[in-house]
Amino acid sequence: MNLKNKRLSDDLFYKIREDVLTHWSTGKDVDFREAVDYMSRVPEEKNFSIQLKKAKDNGITLVQPRAGVALVDEHIELLNYLQDEGGADLLPSTIDSYTRQNRYNECQTGIDESIKENRSLLNGFPVVNHGVHNCRKVLENVNRPVQARHGTPDARLLSEIIHAGGWTSNEGGGISYNIPYAKSVSLEKTIYDWQYCDRLAGIYEENGIKINREPFGPLTGTLVPPSISNAVAIIEGLLAAEQGVKNLTLGYGQCGSLIQDIAAIKALTQQAESYFEEYGYDVELSTVFHQWMGGFPEDESKAFSVISWGSVAASFAGATKVIVKTPHEALGIPTKEANAQGIKATKQIINLTKYQSIPIFSELDQEIEMIKRETKCIIDKVFEVGMGDLAQGVVKAFETGIMDIPFAPSKFNQGKVLPERDNFGAVRYLDFGNIPADKDVKDYHKKLLEERGAYEKRNVSFDMVIDDIFAVSKGILIGRPE
Amino acid sequence: MGKSIVLGVIGADCHAVGNKILDHAFSKAGFDVVNIGVLSSQEDFINAAIETDAKAILVSSLYGHGEIDCKGLKEKCIEAGLEDVILYVGGNLVVGKQDFDIVEKRFKDMGFDRVYAPGTSPAESIANLKKDLGIGIDTMAV
Repeated sequence: MNLKNKRLSDDLFYKIREDVLTHWSTGKDVDFREAVDYMSRVPEEKNFSIQLKKAKDNGITLVQPRAGVALVDEHIELLNYLQDEGGADLLPSTIDSYTRQNRYNECQTGIDESIKENRSLLNGFPVVNHGVHNCRKVLENVNRPVQARHGTPDARLLSEIIHAGGWTSNEGGGISYNIPYAKSVSLEKTIYDWQYCDRLAGIYEENGIKINREPFGPLTGTLVPPSISNAVAIIEGLLAAEQGVKNLTLGYGQCGSLIQDIAAIKALTQQAESYFEEYGYDVELSTVFHQWMGGFPEDESKAFSVISWGSVAASFAGATKVIVKTPHEALGIPTKEANAQGIKATKQIINLTKYQSIPIFSELDQEIEMIKRETKCIIDKVFEVGMGDLAQGVVKAFETGIMDIPFAPSKFNQGKVLPERDNFGAVRYLDFGNIPADKDVKDYHKKLLEERGAYEKRNVSFDMVIDDIFAVSKGILIGRPE
Repeated sequence: MGKSIVLGVIGADCHAVGNKILDHAFSKAGFDVVNIGVLSSQEDFINAAIETDAKAILVSSLYGHGEIDCKGLKEKCIEAGLEDVILYVGGNLVVGKQDFDIVEKRFKDMGFDRVYAPGTSPAESIANLKKDLGIGIDTMAV
């Protein structure tokens, strides 16, 4: 493998494909010509790219849940409930964790036990085991576009199956579905495997089929400073565009400070547009805002508040879509009723705030500029260490900690960076590790954290970080001493 | 104290944040934490416990597959000569919102000594473990 940020040749792609389709028995049902024909008949209201573009043009924020169960008919029932009762604009199919690790034998155990016990023992839809015809069955029995949402380092077979099955969007990327989701898979391997997934989307585009791709924005979902997630989103977007992806949704996970959250999405949009222009990619861009990804309060009323607060931020930030949490979040996978409640609470806020906007005031502008400056510093350095090649740059940047994601499980992540909230709740850098930043930027973060230390009359330390991690589940944003 | 314990997240689960916090909290409380991290198989737990002469195995599961992943762990421990090793499990152990008493019973029937609901503070399991291992209350500095 000679990893380069260069479009995979047809020879290479089709050679890899021959092998990929043998990874599980359902791979043999993928027939690209037949799939293009099927996809060309998928109506516009079930095409992700078309619906996202429409929403972006009209300044609307679409609402999408997460959901998936082990069996096909139950999954269809779940999605219909979220569509009809919840009012979801876009539908997901969250994929179970065995599929994410390519452990299809264990999926089969989960499917068998789920049938036996008459309840889902899997935390998602085992899409590879169910295969192309069941993906189509799902799509044909709902009225919205369907997207696969997962966390799969090697999603090549999964991507082949979902697209042939009529699902027009795929979440993931070589960084965002590795570092937060794997322990010992190399970045060379995941970037290469995701180049395949992106190239597949590109080939569909070249055959007239619109496919949306979405790098996973929130990463570990735990106090990730916006400049880290924005840098990853833009880099994965550029890698995808090189493979021919034409419709991209870049993501961000709510931090909890309204100003910082609005600023992060605005910075992401502005900066992504300028990078795509600079590198000559003509891509339709949209954004996705993830409601709070950290620990939730157990109390359902309190959970609704967290959900609503995220909806406010998503709406005022002007995100194209928002991914919804549920009042069961603290306890694990929600019932369909709880899931629909989360969607309804979100839609209510989106509707209430629809014609409102917040003007750019000086604090917001300053936050946007600071995020852009920090992000640019990281991305420029990645290009530099890759000697102009972005894929090579990413590998080297993680080796040296130029890119670093807090609290990630991967051994290929340095894990030196430490985030912490400032005295107003915005997420700052306690320790930059080896992430590059100008001295005045580092001093600025230090000053903000020292302000909090002085207010709380304690030293700025790792204890504060732990307090911040648990704060929201305890009903507060900043982990103050009790 | 020199009591070593094995800590890890079982199955295909990659939730790393709680694992890092438990590592921090148990280490601070004086345990020698052998943290095998996320995505760990039953065999990984058992091998680590044998290699380090661990007194307890602490299993986390956040993603709902805990039932499938934990089945047979106790039996494998017994086979490996670890019948006296204390077994704890905690997290979001099942799919869907289920009565915790039922979940607790299900996992105790599987051979776990203690079962923790989501949101349990590390201090509680540390206190329990000290008690179960017969470590004096006076040495508790959580």
